[in-house]
Amino acid sequence: MAITERVEKIRQNYVNTKPHISYERAWSWTKSFQRTEGQPHLIRTAQAFYDTCCELSVNIWEGELIVGTSGEYRKCAILTPEFGWLWINDEIDTFPERGQDPYDVTPEQTEFIRKNIFPYWKGKSVEEAFLARTSEATKKIGVDTGFLDTDSKWRNGIGEISADYIDVLLPKGYGGIRAEAEEYMSKLDEAKPEEKAKIDFYRSMVLIADAMITLGRRYSAKAAEMAEAETDPARKKELEEISQICSRIPEQPPQTFREAIQFVWFVQLGGIIAENPLAWNPGRFDQYMYPYYKKDEEAGIIDYDTALELVECLWLKYSEWAWTISKNTASFFAGYTNFENLTVGGTKVDGSDATNTISYMAIQATRECMTHQPTLSCRIHPDCPPEFMEAVTELVSTGCGFPAIHGDRTGYQMLSNLGYKPEDARDWNNCGCVVPHSRKTFEWTSAASISFAAALEFALNQGRSRLSGEQVSLPEKDPKTFASMEEIVEAWKKQFRYLVRHGVISLVTAQEIHREIGHRPFMSACNEYCMKNGRDLVDGGAKYNIGPVFTGVGLSVTANSLAVIRKLVFEDKVTTMAEIIDAIDNNWEGYEQLRELALACPKYGNDDNYVDSIARDLADFFYEEVTQYDDLYGNHFVTAFMGISNYLPTGKVLGATPEGRHAKDPINEGVSPYTGSDTSTCLAALRSAAKMNHDIHSGGTLLNLRLNHDLVATRRGRANLGAMLQSYFALGGFHVQFNTISNEVLADAQKHPEKYRSLLVRVAGYSAQFTNLSTEMQNSIMARNAHTEF
Amino acid sequence: MQIQPFSVNDGEGIRTNIFMAGCPLRCRWCSNPEGFRQEEVVGWYSRRCIGCGACVSVCPEGIGTDMNSGNGRELCTACGACVSVCPEKARTRMVTLMDADEVIREIHRYRLFFSYSGGGVTFSGGEATSQPELLEYLSRELYDMGYSLTLESCGYFDFDSVRPALERMDLIFMDLKHMDPEVHREFTGVSNEKILRNIAGLGTLAGSRDIVIRIPVIGGVNNSEDNIKASADYVKSVLPEAKMELLPYHRLGQVKYEALGLPFGQEGFYTPDKEEMNRLKALVREQGIKTADYR
Repeated sequence: MAITERVEKIRQNYVNTKPHISYERAWSWTKSFQRTEGQPHLIRTAQAFYDTCCELSVNIWEGELIVGTSGEYRKCAILTPEFGWLWINDEIDTFPERGQDPYDVTPEQTEFIRKNIFPYWKGKSVEEAFLARTSEATKKIGVDTGFLDTDSKWRNGIGEISADYIDVLLPKGYGGIRAEAEEYMSKLDEAKPEEKAKIDFYRSMVLIADAMITLGRRYSAKAAEMAEAETDPARKKELEEISQICSRIPEQPPQTFREAIQFVWFVQLGGIIAENPLAWNPGRFDQYMYPYYKKDEEAGIIDYDTALELVECLWLKYSEWAWTISKNTASFFAGYTNFENLTVGGTKVDGSDATNTISYMAIQATRECMTHQPTLSCRIHPDCPPEFMEAVTELVSTGCGFPAIHGDRTGYQMLSNLGYKPEDARDWNNCGCVVPHSRKTFEWTSAASISFAAALEFALNQGRSRLSGEQVSLPEKDPKTFASMEEIVEAWKKQFRYLVRHGVISLVTAQEIHREIGHRPFMSACNEYCMKNGRDLVDGGAKYNIGPVFTGVGLSVTANSLAVIRKLVFEDKVTTMAEIIDAIDNNWEGYEQLRELALACPKYGNDDNYVDSIARDLADFFYEEVTQYDDLYGNHFVTAFMGISNYLPTGKVLGATPEGRHAKDPINEGVSPYTGSDTSTCLAALRSAAKMNHDIHSGGTLLNLRLNHDLVATRRGRANLGAMLQSYFALGGFHVQFNTISNEVLADAQKHPEKYRSLLVRVAGYSAQFTNLSTEMQNSIMARNAHTEF
Repeated sequence: MQIQPFSVNDGEGIRTNIFMAGCPLRCRWCSNPEGFRQEEVVGWYSRRCIGCGACVSVCPEGIGTDMNSGNGRELCTACGACVSVCPEKARTRMVTLMDADEVIREIHRYRLFFSYSGGGVTFSGGEATSQPELLEYLSRELYDMGYSLTLESCGYFDFDSVRPALERMDLIFMDLKHMDPEVHREFTGVSNEKILRNIAGLGTLAGSRDIVIRIPVIGGVNNSEDNIKASADYVKSVLPEAKMELLPYHRLGQVKYEALGLPFGQEGFYTPDKEEMNRLKALVREQGIKTADYR
């Protein structure tokens, strides 16, 4: 079926509209906090959510079947000053014109925000608390440096939660959640201190439930009012139906597929209003939606095409939410990209294949809508049905970069290694870009970005930044005097340990602050065990409390650099440490010949153990070092090789590196080979990546590759792609994602962006509209090596 | 010889191709000129070359950057010193002397990819049968290890010397470039009689396998309906169960000629368009022969 006229209209609006800043949410939140001074922070947060849901403007846009928006604009970017507002104050005037991820905002809005909202939060935000509690040494290496960054945990809302639709939300509805909280509360004694705290928690649950019920009813009233005034009989009927649905949803458990879709969107909207977070995952959509579809289809009240249109409407709702981020953050997460990770496929808890009609419908919706949300992930198990693999590889062949493809068993193993019970580990879904996750979990899944290449720079520059000359890390001996490979690796480890240590300090500080002023009643209401335990997520209410995740960047650059030193200096002896250091100090200028020698050394991504084994040793050391630290809750920290687009900003702050990279050039993301250096075959790149011990990096691992489109242009070619995926997973790999659009098309899109507004490409761990990326980011995507060998 | 992993058009699934150097034919449209002779060859891709001079500095024969000018080709011993220092891979080995067991280790590397895709190993060339003892050894070892084997040949070989190897194949591609012996000789250097005999000989092999007779359709040489029809008729008469695959002429090999410093000289040939290819394929089917397509 072709996309319906309704969906196409909504899609055109999504593709052609710049997001608009809305302060409605921030203003309601602020007024509420002014009224609740002195109350427990948990209650204040829940009350602010309730007040916001009562006040937020209620809008139903043209043609919508699924309703609910976080403000007065269809593509809304909202503000959460309670986390951080300093950067917004600094940057808001540049929002409309900035290169990456601009937002519309009027001067009147800006003035209102500065006058009425920011003053209240002065000294009260998470960001300010963090900066006030953090030492100069930590700031020097770990605040806005690109060497070590943790600010997504103290400048923005957290999210990183997978809503539990299966055990909590859909079966209970917010009416049920409210009743349950009341029930628990009635058995507690306020005179007992521990129970008193629980009473506060359950009060917050009641407020959240009331807020969501109110939100639904307000939409119901709005739809009724609009139906009244509507002259087109078809639309009138639709509005009446919306009104009828929202009078029940999300208070009651949904009875139909249509109601369930509206329910899912209300929950998503609630999370956006509560935290405006980086990652907020719908989870295993095909698993919880299929029963509704099956029941309705059997009853003859829905068919495939009707259901598909509803799913596509939901996809557009997911995509109309624009995350509000700083210029710096936008360079990490380019393309208005937050993560609404929706997982399909895989196995059921009993181990049998889990794919169903909705799995295919989700893939079709992404193919037809070409929206950047949801972040579509699929799980591929060894006995994956060929039809599903075909649907997946067909979507890959469109070049949109979706879906993110994951090996089922590695995901299971990653969670098992964190102590999950088998039934929960088997039920994993994706969070953010490539994090194996669970709806039973509290975890900061993207907490610190740590640069392997920065540690190398410090090791080879006496602890100083090569670009600024500033002493930011531990002193080290003159690099020209290193006499062995072992000495250099030891120096790298020393510097890397220092980075890890300051990451740990930063994140524990952030956890302390969140435990004081970062309560999360909305997210806690989506978590089964918070209700059972009577504790908020930040108080450890979830079934699984997992330590924050460090994500490593620059693995291949660092391994390649060490391989160059080992080969050229210590084995072939064609150069000296002194010459290498002079060369990178001079950004290779005057050392072109040496650079050529360096470029000719073995590079990670070509199935060459000479360098792959170095990469694996570095990755293993990362795991050993990070996991020995415990967080505030007593859980060990976790490692990952995710990507985001942080390989650009983390490269920008570094001088030249021994493997031939120039100063400020990008480094690399995840376990991906360095751009353009995987010159053998795609299979060799997969084999190199699979040598990293993926299962120990329980925060997820990411591999991006580019494939020439010809390779996947035929059904037979796509079958081979499926085989490559299964092989990679059998070798222990976890995730791979492909860009398959030719550089010719991308170059044309750079020249004529107007023709390519909806062109989706893989950035790193997510896809974004190509024309929404900065030129710099576009170039770096085009530079990734396309595998064309036949 | 040369090993090429991730080959997807010469047989089922994902395959590793083994290109055996040395070919008894000199087809004027050849796209793999490096495989003419059984000797190691280093090529120079001028388009990749940045003129850094790294190759010059390590060359024991003192050959310049442009190894194809002057007497560079005569001096070159294909020692490969330049290949290992070239940062842009402008100097590459195009034919490499390899130990048979090293070849087998390279094959093992991708065994999982073979398993999942139904792929395996394809012997190709140059000419797959040009080194009969090596073919015998490799095919026997790989057969015993359970790999799926395919062979692609120009058809010009001594049948009995490779019969056991052929019998280990799951799929054999054999070329039929022209039905007219004289035209065949004009464009390939040899008559087609031996080739026609060998095609017929495939029917005498023990065991069963798929056979695909390939016609590289060279515009201006063998793309007449008469020739295609006659080819299909011949196949039908000697191998009624075989399929045929028609591959359009391409010039992707031009860059290799440049790399080897050889004159290209293929200006007279053209690539038949899709419509013409479809018409010729239909003609084959009309003669009662199924067509195959490994794209």
